[in-house]
Parts: sequence; structure tokens; C-alpha cells
Amino acid sequence: MSPVFAVSLDALTSADFWIGVGVLAGTYTIFTLGLQLNVGFTGIINFGQAGFMAIGAYAMGILVIRAEWSLWAALPVATLIAMAAGVLIGLPSLRLRADYFAIVTIAFAEIVRYVAQNARGLTGGNQGLLGFDDQWLDVSDTILGWLPESLQDQFLLPLLIVVWIAVAILTGLLMLLQRSPWGRVLRAIREDEDAARALGKNVLAYKLQSIALAAALGAIAGYFLALNLSFLSPESFEPQFTFIGFTILILGGLASYVGVALGSLIIWTLLEATRFIDLPLAAEKVAALRFVIVGIALIVLVAFRPQGIVGRREEMVLRD
Amino acid sequence: MTDELLRVEGVVKRFGGVHAVDGASFDVTAGSITALIGPNGAGKTTLFNVVTGFARADGGEVVYDGRRVSGRPAHAIARCGMVRTFQITKALAAMPVIDNMTLAAPRQPGEHLTGVIARPLAARKREREVRERARELLSRYGLEGKADDYAGTLSGGQRKLLELARALMAEPRMVLLDEPMAGVNPTLGARLLEHVHVLREREGTTFLLIEHDMEVVMGHSDRVVCMAQGRVIADGEPEAVRSDPRVIDAYLGGTA
Repeated sequence: MSPVFAVSLDALTSADFWIGVGVLAGTYTIFTLGLQLNVGFTGIINFGQAGFMAIGAYAMGILVIRAEWSLWAALPVATLIAMAAGVLIGLPSLRLRADYFAIVTIAFAEIVRYVAQNARGLTGGNQGLLGFDDQWLDVSDTILGWLPESLQDQFLLPLLIVVWIAVAILTGLLMLLQRSPWGRVLRAIREDEDAARALGKNVLAYKLQSIALAAALGAIAGYFLALNLSFLSPESFEPQFTFIGFTILILGGLASYVGVALGSLIIWTLLEATRFIDLPLAAEKVAALRFVIVGIALIVLVAFRPQGIVGRREEMVLRD
Repeated sequence: MTDELLRVEGVVKRFGGVHAVDGASFDVTAGSITALIGPNGAGKTTLFNVVTGFARADGGEVVYDGRRVSGRPAHAIARCGMVRTFQITKALAAMPVIDNMTLAAPRQPGEHLTGVIARPLAARKREREVRERARELLSRYGLEGKADDYAGTLSGGQRKLLELARALMAEPRMVLLDEPMAGVNPTLGARLLEHVHVLREREGTTFLLIEHDMEVVMGHSDRVVCMAQGRVIADGEPEAVRSDPRVIDAYLGGTA
């Protein structure tokens, strides 16, 4: 009798695998930090994070390729464009109840993706956008040069290093902000908007700041995604990525920035490792099964540990 | 009127065809404790919402401290010094009691992103002042032992006290209390009323409160405004309002 399935552990012991997982996990940590700011600390349900990621990444790609800007000039400008998009979406819709706002944001993200698919003159449509990363590759080679000889064939290692430095800096900054009186106002809005309003806080202004910062984080994640793939195409920005972000958020724990990195590492290890399960099934069924496993894990988690790995239980159960 | 702090003039608020507030007019003297009474559905809470900017009036105007505030957003009105509490307390349950308090303090540069980045020292200094004031108020209200607990763990009465204390952190000239005694045990209730009097005497704070308990209304307010069906039907000294036949009618279910 042949075994029903086999896991080839070879893949899991290779450096390639872990570097790949590390880059993805870092990228989606930054992506999900934005969700944490919105969902965990402001009480805004943002289902459009993949849209902000797309706007950032495409703005960067278009500025570099079509407008022939330097990558280093394009990055801050693209970030500002994503933030402006956040304000533009938020201004008319943040007055809506949280669930309606969630619907608006998911529609927004889909509009962005369809525009990327169809504005071929700018985005290259489904053929995608290539060649925006020359300046990064120079930097990447320089970093590789600093590393020991034995690691120099690890082409993605510089990106891994840079993405996790970015994760550390951004997590630190967000934690500082959260401990400031500004962060306290956000938490008050999450608890009860009317109470915050009655105490003189301009709730809409704070929500707009929250969404603009989340959009900036989405854009930054978009740059790392683009540099990782060396290629921009609409399918990298499907809504499922926002939901992977939410899975990371719940796994790590609501209202904890440190939990985001943890959740991201676990989810991406799971998602990537399950590629190597050998099942007597067609490839697309195995791909679907990966998400089934993640879904079951999430249900079990919510049932037994709703605060996630490092979230605070009090903040989950003490809602009026 | 010599020293009126708040003037409500012909305020109308409709919900569809229902006139919840239907041309209500009265004013509140600075430094007074004014009670707003009336049977259920008289439009008291809706009027509170209009006055504090939580609902937009369909007609009439609200003038606070000589400035027209109707049409302005709630947070802007609160910053003018008119702070409200809610009928159902809005303790920020998943935040510690002390954070509930410090949140309410005005003039904190650290509440703005620019201030967090550009003026961290000023923010920290203000935070120290605010914390000290918060501790002081909490101990005055017998909540000092609860400072670090989540507000969600407080009893109903303690939440009412916290809401009042929190409103005071905002340094108001006028406090609007929506049924402050509802669901509060008599001991805590008596303490709450005592605090209201002390504040009025010491700091000249003006109070407008919605209250159903007639003993509280008669014993603690300088003036009583009675609403029924969206209008003010009586306005004057507590004794005069109590014996007003229109008021008695309204409470007995007749139409005034």
C-alpha cells in the first residue's frame, strides 16, 4: 500500500524556502500593521487594504517606468498618493456605520484592481509592469557584497533584511503613537464615538488620519511585494490578500502590534509549507485545501482564544 | 435676562412626521441648577441632542455664551465648555478608568499627530498635569482605588460617577446630565448630587439635568422646565411648576 500523502521535508529545510517565507511574512506584516491601526485601535473596518497596496505599488511603478523618475523619489510620492486616496475614500464614507464603511472599502479595492487591469497604457494591464527595480537591484547587490561568501547566492536575502528592518521601525513607531494621547483618542473612538465626540474630539479627523496612515503602510507593503516579484500585475492585489491580512490580525491578536509579525510568520509558513503536501489530488484542489486548513485553524482559534496569540482578552470581552 | 448662559429658542426637531421637539424655548441662568422634566416622549433627550450638537435642529436656534452654536458639530460645542453625559452611560469599557479621565482633558498637544512628533516634551508635561488632576478628581469621587481597572468592571453607579468626573476633566462651564440618578443606588446618588452642589458653589458650574425623580428635582434645582409633546409647558420655580395644572395634566396623560 502506498501512503495516502507524504510531506517532503526537504523543502522545509532549504534556505530558499525560509527566505521566501520571510519576505512574504515581512511584507504582510507591514500590510497588516495598517489593518491593526484601523481595526484594532480605531474600530474602522477596512476591507480595502489591498487597494491601497495596489495604489502605492502602481504609483511607484508608473512614476519610475512611464515618468522615468528615480525609484527613491517615486517611493515617498507614491506613499503620499496612497494616503490621499485614503482620505478621499474616507471623507464621504467614514460617517457611515462601520459595516457600511467596510462595504465601501471592498468596492474601492476592486475598482482599483479593475482599473489596473484595464488602463493598459499606464499599468500594462494583465501583462503587468516590469523594470522598475533596477535601482533597487544595485542596492541589493551592494548588500549582498557585505554578506559572507556562503550566502551570496541568496538573491532575496537583501530584501529579507530590508523588509524586516522596515517591520521593526514601523512597529516601533506605531507603538509609540499608540501610547501617545493621540493613540488614546483613537482607542476612545473604537470604544464609543459619541463619548469621544462629547469630550470635544473631532472623530472624523482622527478616523481620516488612521485610514491615511493605514494606506501608507499598505503602500509600503506594496513596494516590497513589487520588489519581491520584480513585476506588478493586478492579480497580486485580489481581495483575498486583505482577508489573509485579517487572518493574520486575528491570529496575532487584536490591539497588539507585536502580534502582527507573529501572526504573519505563522500564516505564511503554513500557506507556503502546505504547498509541499503530496496529496492524490489535482494541484488546484491542493491549493484550495490550503485555505481550508487556514480557515479551520482560524475557527478553532476564535472559539478557544478570541484574543489571538498576544492580544488582550479584556479588550475583546469588555465591550458594552 | 441678565446672565443667561444658554438660550434655546423655538427649537424644532422632526423624525419623519413626528415632531419630537416642536418649538421649545427656555433659557438657563449661569451658575444655576436647572431641571428639565416631562413625561416619557416629551422630547427631553432629543432636545439635549440638539443643544449639544448630536442632532441637527430643523428649526430654531441654540445660543451658548452669546454665540450661536446650533449647526456646529458636537465636538466643537463641547470645546466651547458645554459638556454632556448620556442616559445610558458611555464608559469606555475596554480602557482603564484613568485613561477615561485623561482622555477628556483639553489642550493636550500630544493629541495631534503634529504635536506627537514636534512637541513631545510639551505633551509629556501636559500629560503629567492631566494625570494629577485626574487622580485628584477620582479620589474626590471615591474611585481612586479603581484608577487602573478597566472601566467595564465598574458598577452602574460607579460608571455614572466616572462619567461626571470625566466630564469635569474637560473643564466645562456647563454640564448637561441626562438622567444622572437612573440606576444609581441611593447612597451613590446622594453623593453625586452633593458633588453637583459643591461644583456649582465652588466653581460656578452651571447644570442642566433631565430627571424623573421628583424629590430630586424639587430638592436640588433652582429652576424647573417642564416639557410635554415637544414643547415647554411650564418654566419657573420648582414649587410653582409642581402645582401648575398643565404640568399635572401632562403627567396624568391629559393633553396640555
